[in-house]
Amino acid sequence: MKTGVYFCNCGTNISDKIDSEKIREEILKLPGEIRFRTIDFMCSEDGKEALEKDLKENGMERAVITACSPRDHENTFMRVLSKAGLNPYLMQMVSVREQVAWVTEEREKATEKALRYTNAALKRLALQDPLEHKEIDICPDVLVIGAGPAGLKAALSIAESGRKVVIVEKTPVIGGMPVRYEELFPNMECGPCMLEPVLGDVLHGEHSGNIELLTISEVMDVVGSYGNFIVKIRRNPRYVDADKCIGCAECMTPCPVSAKNEFNYGLDERKAIYLPFAGALPNAPSIDNAICLRAKGRDCRLCKDACPVEDAIIYDDAESIIERNVGAILVAVGAGVYDCKKIPNLGYGSMPDVYTSSEFERILASNGPTEGEVKTAQGKRPKSVAIIHCAGSLDENHKEYCSGICCQYAFKFNHLVGKKLPGTKIYHFYKELSFPGKEEFTLYHHAKEDRNTAFVRYRDMKDLKVEKKGAKKAVTYKDASGKKGSAPADMLILCPAVVPAEGSGSLGNILEATHDKFGFFEELHGRMDSAQSKIKGIYLAGACQSPMDIQKAMSQGMAAAGYILSGLVAGRKLEIKPITAVVDADRCSGCRVCMSVCPYKAISYDTEKEVSSVNEVLCQGCGTCVAACPAGAVKGNHFTTDEIFAEIEGVLA
Amino acid sequence: MKNQKPETKRKKPEDKKRSASGGAKSKSSKPAVNGDFEPKIVGFLCNWCSYAGADKAGTSQVKYPPNVNVVKVMCSGRVDPQFVMKAFEKGADGVIILACHPGDCHYKEGNYKAAQRHRMLLKLLGQFGIEKERCRFDYVSAGEGDKFVKVIKDTVDTIREMGPMKKTKKSTSERTE
Ligand SMILES: Cc1cc2nc3c(=O)[nH]c(=O)nc-3n(C[C@H](O)[C@H](O)[C@H](O)COP(=O)(O)OP(=O)(O)OC[C@H]3O[C@@H](n4cnc5c(N)ncnc54)[C@H](O)[C@@H]3O)c2cc1C
Ligand code: FES
Repeated sequence: MKTGVYFCNCGTNISDKIDSEKIREEILKLPGEIRFRTIDFMCSEDGKEALEKDLKENGMERAVITACSPRDHENTFMRVLSKAGLNPYLMQMVSVREQVAWVTEEREKATEKALRYTNAALKRLALQDPLEHKEIDICPDVLVIGAGPAGLKAALSIAESGRKVVIVEKTPVIGGMPVRYEELFPNMECGPCMLEPVLGDVLHGEHSGNIELLTISEVMDVVGSYGNFIVKIRRNPRYVDADKCIGCAECMTPCPVSAKNEFNYGLDERKAIYLPFAGALPNAPSIDNAICLRAKGRDCRLCKDACPVEDAIIYDDAESIIERNVGAILVAVGAGVYDCKKIPNLGYGSMPDVYTSSEFERILASNGPTEGEVKTAQGKRPKSVAIIHCAGSLDENHKEYCSGICCQYAFKFNHLVGKKLPGTKIYHFYKELSFPGKEEFTLYHHAKEDRNTAFVRYRDMKDLKVEKKGAKKAVTYKDASGKKGSAPADMLILCPAVVPAEGSGSLGNILEATHDKFGFFEELHGRMDSAQSKIKGIYLAGACQSPMDIQKAMSQGMAAAGYILSGLVAGRKLEIKPITAVVDADRCSGCRVCMSVCPYKAISYDTEKEVSSVNEVLCQGCGTCVAACPAGAVKGNHFTTDEIFAEIEGVLA
Repeated sequence: MKNQKPETKRKKPEDKKRSASGGAKSKSSKPAVNGDFEPKIVGFLCNWCSYAGADKAGTSQVKYPPNVNVVKVMCSGRVDPQFVMKAFEKGADGVIILACHPGDCHYKEGNYKAAQRHRMLLKLLGQFGIEKERCRFDYVSAGEGDKFVKVIKDTVDTIREMGPMKKTKKSTSERTE
């Protein structure tokens, strides 16, 4: 085995401190066919050329590069090896600049240490295997879970690039939370108007042919990995053919049964065949089988009789399980809000006219339960409104984090209440105020300048109490400075902490994607890779990963689309780096310790053969399973036990 | 998180010149054999934080003793107790395992596994009569060049003070291979 040891002088950075002649002398005493050569600035064009030429001309089979840190130039020299016709994994780099020359006082000591490292590299290198980058075929299609702003923005841009996208949305409507808001901070744009173009493009736009929209559907199971997932989806019946339906709503009037409308948080009722709110998209009602008389065996046909289109209502529509093959999955299931009943002093659920912000959004909406009219349970116009910020946020007893969006919608409410009910007193009770950004402060400024708006800063939720005083309600409080007081509140709006969406736990289990300590989907890296989950091929966008506003949710959607479009390209294969773990099936005892330590769920167990195996697409090569395997059955490519043993012996020789 | 205490916390030897001058100020009653003793130490460093931390010390050109020989692994989670036993068998006087700080492991949780294994390892070493101070586990991030230097100096001082591994205690290997 002919091995070349190439020593970079790095100008004088290395040669000043390490005596290459001494190294040559010692190295050449070692057994085996070893060649030693110094090169000035090996990473320069001339240096790389010299290295390549030397490797070729002398028929070298392996190379030790004694130079700077592999973190600087390992890839550079691996490429040179490839160019010289060698397998790039038959190279070992020794960091004698950063880890010897620059940090050792005496030249003699530095030379000795460099020699130990070179010796170790040679020993290790002799055992190294040539490794190949593997390539696998991929499916470039994408699954998007959740049809809110984040998911739809991503789906549209992926579809625009010509890819197929499957959108799975659990409700009958798309658009997520914001289509329920009449107006949006920071610029008081009309929510439905702002989002409708996006929704329209998804439903009927130029690229909608690439989008398969599955509403009232949910993901049941996912197998496979990045590039090749197989997704099982349960498609619940709508009982209305959305393509045939003209959205006239004639069917709804005669329907004899009704239930609370969950889209309006139970503040009004809807029929068994219903559209959650006027303008909901897709513009086709659905039948709620839980209350429909037909589901109870009665032969009611009133909706179908009222429908002017033949066969738009399909009574025998049924649940179906469908399978789709995709290469990447985007989770965009949004968030929920904290249960305010857990803060009993605020009176939510026990006193009238105490609403959560989501409920109040619907009250403000012209297509909501009161058609936009703000009135008390007694039908009166409220003379005072208290808005309680930080309800459950920034609170060790509830949620420690700041929910980020509440201040802004609170000042949106301030503006809208002022507009709808001029003269109404509005009290903001807050712990902290937060509205970073170049546009976000304006609503706050308006509120601050408004004579009817007052601010009370409180320190702790227990310093607030909503009390009944006769027929009236009031917030009694101790403010942050310790002063006690009371403010009338005919109506209260609570700004609950933003929390993970219902069902994100079980969805996480299906996807094997992890959650953070608050239950939000966890990013690969909070700053650098916040649109990726820790599982390769599963991406995150929107409020499912952290409280965020629409702007950020849409940006995250685009970021995820970017990852997907650049990572999975139709016709291009997926390259798999070879530094992974490999299970030797003959030695595996099937104990599955490896599975329990793998952070990437990259190991699966074959119950028939009773052995584990590593999915090399998912494996990131950390080697934790290699060290954990009691039978020594897992090999860590490029960091095998024998290679590391050889290195240990080398440095200690 | 960054200021986790090292697992094996030791009293810092007050003066490193002492060893060079051959003076014995060891807290035990051992004879003064450690003056010229240059301990051989193997350092297992994870690629992402600790190895980068060592590089950082390099770019800052801070000098430290050359006794620690680095063996790079992708993650501290790869450090098999066998590696440590092998190092002792082959003549190391000490071993140090450096990992990313808790929560920072490039592979999520390899460093927790490593910390766990280190605790196990200390028990095992005890059975072979190897003092637990000879096997240190610590966290060094990519930015902590200064901490890397401190940990290295500290480890070298500690092992120097302890003296070489006793020959009889070294042959632990056959069983682990
Ligand atoms: C009261 C209130 C007022 C707000 N006002 C504003 C404002 O004025 N301006 C602003 O910028 N932001 C506002 N926000 C924030 C805004 O609602 C979010 O930024 C936005 O909804 C995030 O979009 P998303 O796509 O991540 O999630 P969502 O809008 O929540 O959409 C998620 C979608 O996923 C679906 N889904 C959930 N689980 C599943 C599942 N398991 N399978 C399939 N589908 C699923 C949901 O049904 C939904 O359609 C407000 C928030 C609140 C609470
Ligand atoms: S990568 Fe540093 S400890 Fe895992």
